[in-house]
Order: sequence, then C-alpha cells, then structure tokens
Amino acid sequence: MVDFLQALVDGVMLGATYSLLGLGFTLIFGVLRRLNLAFGPTILVGIYAGSHVGLAWPGALWAVVAATVVAAILCGIYVERCSFRALARQAPVVSMISTFAVWMQLQELVSLFEASRTMPYPSPAWLPALTVGPILLRSDALLMWSGATAIMLALFVLLYRTRFGTAVRAVADSSEAATLMGVNVSVIGAAAFLLASTVGGLAGVLIAQSQQQVTPYFGLWATVKGLTAMLLGGAGSLPGAVAGGVILGVVETQTLWHFGGQWRDLASFALLFLVVALSPRARSEPTL
Amino acid sequence: MSDYAVSLLVRIGVEAFVALSAYLLLVIGRISFGQQAFFVIGGYAAGIATALYGAPLAVGIMVGAVAAGVAGALLSAVMAPAGGIYFAAGSLAFGELVRVALLSFHYQVPVGADLTGPAGADGFRGIRALFTGGMSVTTYMLAVSGLLAVTSVVIVLLLSSRWGEAMRMVGEDETASASLGVRVRRVAALTMAGAGALAGLGGGLFVHYVTYIEPGHSDVMLGVHSLAYAFIGGLGTPLGPIIGVALDIGLLESFRFLAGYRMIVFGGLVMGLLVVRPRGLLDEVAVHRLSRLVAWGRR
Amino acid sequence: MLEVREVVTSYGMIQALKGVSLAAREGEVTCILGPNGAGKTTLLYTIAGILRPRSGSISFQGRELAGTSAADVVGRGISLVPENRLVFPHMTVRENLLAGAYVRLGRDRAGVEADLDAMFARFPILKQRAGQAAGTLSGGEQQMLAVARALMARPRLLMMDEPSLGLAPLVVEQIFQIVQGLNREGITVLLVEQNARLALSIAHHAYLLEQGRIAFHGTPSEVSANEGISRAYLGIKGG
Repeated sequence: MVDFLQALVDGVMLGATYSLLGLGFTLIFGVLRRLNLAFGPTILVGIYAGSHVGLAWPGALWAVVAATVVAAILCGIYVERCSFRALARQAPVVSMISTFAVWMQLQELVSLFEASRTMPYPSPAWLPALTVGPILLRSDALLMWSGATAIMLALFVLLYRTRFGTAVRAVADSSEAATLMGVNVSVIGAAAFLLASTVGGLAGVLIAQSQQQVTPYFGLWATVKGLTAMLLGGAGSLPGAVAGGVILGVVETQTLWHFGGQWRDLASFALLFLVVALSPRARSEPTL
Repeated sequence: MSDYAVSLLVRIGVEAFVALSAYLLLVIGRISFGQQAFFVIGGYAAGIATALYGAPLAVGIMVGAVAAGVAGALLSAVMAPAGGIYFAAGSLAFGELVRVALLSFHYQVPVGADLTGPAGADGFRGIRALFTGGMSVTTYMLAVSGLLAVTSVVIVLLLSSRWGEAMRMVGEDETASASLGVRVRRVAALTMAGAGALAGLGGGLFVHYVTYIEPGHSDVMLGVHSLAYAFIGGLGTPLGPIIGVALDIGLLESFRFLAGYRMIVFGGLVMGLLVVRPRGLLDEVAVHRLSRLVAWGRR
Repeated sequence: MLEVREVVTSYGMIQALKGVSLAAREGEVTCILGPNGAGKTTLLYTIAGILRPRSGSISFQGRELAGTSAADVVGRGISLVPENRLVFPHMTVRENLLAGAYVRLGRDRAGVEADLDAMFARFPILKQRAGQAAGTLSGGEQQMLAVARALMARPRLLMMDEPSLGLAPLVVEQIFQIVQGLNREGITVLLVEQNARLALSIAHHAYLLEQGRIAFHGTPSEVSANEGISRAYLGIKGG
C-alpha cells in the first residue's frame, strides 16, 4: 500500500512537468490550430544553452534559468516566423511539415555544439527533502512539482482573469468570431507562441535540474510526453492537458514500481496508442 | 562506378521505399511518423529468414516485406479510424513502441558454430546472405534500382486506377466517400498494409547491404525524413518522394563541406520550398503541365 | 452615418461587389434585400474590415473606413452580428458577453459589468443560461446571445447578417421586435435579410442588391409599390 501511495505521489509530481509540456503544445494547437513539432527541440536547445552557462559560471543558477528560457523563446520566435507566419495562408499540415524541418535543424545544431553528447545541468543543492508519514518527497521532485504548479497557476490566472487571456481563449474557440469582437488574431497567435515557448523553457529547466543532465534525446522525449498529455486530455483543451500530464505521470511511475524500468517507456507509448485508438475525438478529427 | 557512388545509390533506393510508404499514406490523408517501424520489422524479419533459416536472399527480402505488410494491416485495425494529429501522434508512438520492444527481443538460434539472431539492445548482426551468395554489390545496387523502378510504375498504375481514385477520395473526405460507396475501412487497411510492405521491403534491402540491424534503426528521424521527402519532392506523383530522397542524399551528401550542416541546410531548403511551393516541386499542377507537354510532344 | 460609395470587392478574379453605393442614416433601420449570392454578406464583411475593397470608399461618421482592420472597425463603433451567429461554443454565455466587450475591457471594467447586468435584464433567457456553454443553446437563444454580445461593445452602428436564418417564425418575430426596440433607443441598424416582408416592416429605408449591384432603393412603401420587386421578393401578385 505504501509503495502504491509513494508511486502515486511521485507520479503526480512528475506529471506536473508533463502537464507543462502538454500546455505548451495546447497553447499553440488550440490558438493556431496547427501542431508545432519543433516544440520539444526548442526546449532542447534551451537546456543545452543553460548547461553551457552552468559550466561557464558555476553557481549562477539564475543565469542558467534565464539562458534556458531565453534560448527557448528565441527558437520559438524562429519557428513562429518561418513555419507559422510565413505559411499562414496554407493548409495546417504545411506548417507542421515546416516545423519538423526546424526539428531537424535544431537537432543538428545541438550536436554541432557538443563535444560529448550528455551534458550536466546544475540543480540547487540546498533543498530539503520532506517526509510526510511514510511517503518520501525528494527535493528535486518537490522543486519540479512546486515550480510546475506555480507556473500553471500563473498561466491560468493569465488566461482566465485578464483581457489578454480572454482574447487567447476567444481565438482558440473561434478565430472568426474573435475578429468580430475586435481581437487582432495574428498578434494573439504570436503572443500565444511566446507564451508556449516560455512555458516550455521553464518546463525544461525543471526537468533538467531534476535529472541533472541533458541529452540530445530530450527533443523527441519532450515531444512524445507533451503530445500524449495534450491528446489524453482532448486536443486543444487547457485543463485537459493538465489532467493528461498527471495521468501520464501516474501511469509511468506505477509501471516503473511494479514492472521495472524498461516497461515504463513502453507503458507511456502504449498509453498514447490507446488514446489514439479509443478516443472518440480521434475519429472526428479531420485529416490534416 | 566507385564504391561510394554505389553505396549512395543503394541508400537512395532504400530510403526511397520508406518515402514511398509515407507517400501512399498521404494519399489517403494520413500523416505517419511511424514508417520507420515497418522498415525495422521488415529488416529483422528478412534477416531472420536468411541468416537463421538459410532462406535465399530474394525470398528473405520478400518475407520482410510481407511481415511488415501484415504489421501494417494489424495496425490499421487499431489506428485507421483516427485522423489528423491523432494518427500522427499514434504513428509516432508506434515507431517508438517498436524500438523499445526490440530492445528486449532476443531470438538466437545456433547457425553453424555460433549463436545468431536478434540480441536485444545489441541488435542483430551477421546477416551476410548478400556477401556469401556471390552477388556483387554493384549488381545488388542495380537490383535495388530495378525494384524501385518497378515499384514506382506499379504505384503510378495503382493511383491512376479506380482504386487510386478511391484512395484519393478517402484522403479528401471520408464521410463523403463512404456515402458514395467507398469502403473506407478496407481502403485504409490495404493502404496501410501496402505502405508497411514498402517500408519493410526497404528494410530487407538495407539489412542485407549493411549486414546488421538494431532497434535504434527505428529512428523517428527516418520517419520524419520520409515525410519531408514526400513533401519537397511533390505530392502530385510518386516520383516526387524519390526526387526528394535523391535531392537530400545525392545532392547534399556530395557537398562534403556541408558535412555536419546537412540537416540544417536540408531543413532550411524544405522550409523555404514550402513557402514557395507548399505542395512540393512536382505538385499536381506541375505534373499536369508536364503530362500535357509529353502528350503534345507525342503528336 | 455610414456612406458606401462605388465599392468593388473581389474574390480573386470574381467581382462580388461591382460598385455598390448606399447610405445608412443615423437613427434609422436600413435593410438590404436580395437573393442568395447577391453579395450581401460580402458587403457587410467589407464594411466590417474583414474584406478589403478593390476600390471605392466607405465613410463612417465622416471618417474614411475602407482599409481599416476588422479589429479597429469594432473600435470605431461598428459591430457585426454574423450569419450563423458564430458564438464561442465552449465559452459560457457570460464569457461570450464579456468577450463582446473586448474593446472596452481594458479601460471601462465597471461599465462592462453594468452593461452585463443590463443585457441580462433585457434578455432574461440569457440570464437563465448564464453559466451554460454557448454551443448548447438553441438557435434562437444563440441569435439573442449574438445580438447581446455585439451590443456589449456599445456600437453606434449595428450590422446584422440574416438574423432570421434557420429560426422558427415565433423566434424570428421576437428577434425583430428586439431589433426595433434597439433602434428606438437610438442605435442605427444595417440589416441584411432574405425575409423581405419582415425586414420591410421595421425598416426606414431599403436597398435591393442583385448580382453585386444596387438595383433599387427607397422606402418600404416605395418597394411594395414596385410591381416587379414585390412579386419577386414579397410574393405579391400585382402592386
């Protein structure tokens, strides 16, 4: 029973970061109706940038965070300009193809800058671990979870309590109607992109500091996690992405505890697979 | 012909099969990031047939294609109803699922003095049917090219038949197609099986050329590249993906100074091309114009 | 208040509006009649800034409007209730209304809240459904929501595209009574309608748009007096 609870708690904490990744995908897909496949790779560039800064200035954690987020945002602007804005009049699938051309580029960019493939990522050393009864809350996991939750809360305040947020949700619901309300749809689209890149960069910081390293495989990994979280909750739904992330996290950690490491990845792919096979939304989604 | 040129042509041929596989699915309106899974399934199956059970080379490769085709048909039972990004994400998951599953796949059989066969993460080595059979590499390359040519002709014929019409209808609008009597499920299943077989064929050809295969060959980049080839080459004809492959591997590879920057340049080319020609170089309009030119030339 | 002069709007090679001129006088209800495909929605979209005219001018309250972006047109005081309502389906009724006041949200939060209460008072059915997702409302309720939402921007000119489309006759009567009421309170209305009889019953001035051109305009009695028009659009034999 204790094992189950521990895994559950671990899963929820891990799931919070998956939720962030899912939110990043959802912000772009929901508002712009196009899938950004370069999202994971832009975070990858961010965490490698952070890693370099961490090596050059040990102890300057804020610089690492800033470097990660700024690099992610810069990549995000690149994607938005070249794959979305430039192709705004084309079918959504064309933007998606363009984003995976960017994926190829960013992946190669990262490998160009690396002597060795895995690099260290700094994490705060001064965090305590907590024990609540028999449940252990590791310090890095706790940071990951509290950071992700804080970001999500801020995001929801932004989206549900501000004029800007109203515009974003209006465009996501019906961009035609939003135009009639006086919303500048293309400005909101670019802003949503910026927001998604920021959230992604922050997610990258939280995940990398927890793993204390970054690998080139992160781009694909983040893409699969984010897509799964988004689709689990119903593509385009922000609360859905949060729920989807948590579900994914719980499923993964439960699988890890009961069946071991190699089954964990299998379980998360299988979950995505099940969603695709069984979700009624999947059937009604038009072919791109 | 230099060894390098031969190896280049074999690579182009092999990847062209995977690109064609992605292309077939595009015709029925499905974006797949998972064709690399069928590539690898075909490779493993072909390798098992020749290296473990002594099948002749051609038979082994056919076995690979059939195995991958069956996998495609089975997958369609689960995935065919999904559309849009669900299908794309699901196919991505399938590609990774196969890769991870293969990491635990051990199947070793004594052949001669050694144990041969898939050894999980270490892959599957010693697939030497091409080299022990006495065929020269150049002959193999010609066989691959010939097979590719025949396949392209078959696909062109298929797409201009009534069957191809049904495929295009499914790609445009499934509900409307169904109401016009198109057996959407059947079209999807057969197309996925065919696409799987094509990728598996590429896998079988690949595995005998390089003599080994490993789970890492189910690489999402392969799937992503295949789609990119289809798009830059052009959606108007199956020649499009082949041209895309040739452009990337042939052209860019030959610029040695681009080594290390190839993906960046190729990616940039794709992005630029999509702005100018969103449906690729040989899009439907270009193909139409070309065919009229040919018809005019014949007169 | 609104003057459209020789406006030409095209979709690629096809000219949808071939030089349309009309005027909507302040405080009046002006209606635009015409068959399907005549260009009525194109005209409204051109005024609303969603489409750009090839040539011609549109002036609103003395200032040129043509070329203004759709978002800025709302800011100038023109709201459009589109064909098919276009409510925000996943947002609640209340959120829809707040979204309607988007141009005012930054500077006049108190005024927006007051208007919200006023809308609920004017449209009690919306108050009942305030927390419901707009996509689940009936056609007539959505139409009322669309009108109320457009009003939240406090427009000086309210444009309506086929408000009767797809609605039961009783509901249509309700909507038109509301429109007439709004006009009496001082809102200028530009109304596109296929239901000529109903439109003429509340209009002060009418235009007939056929194949991208104004074929006729006049008061409702002038329209009914015209034999050809009344037979084609009002189903009346003889003048």
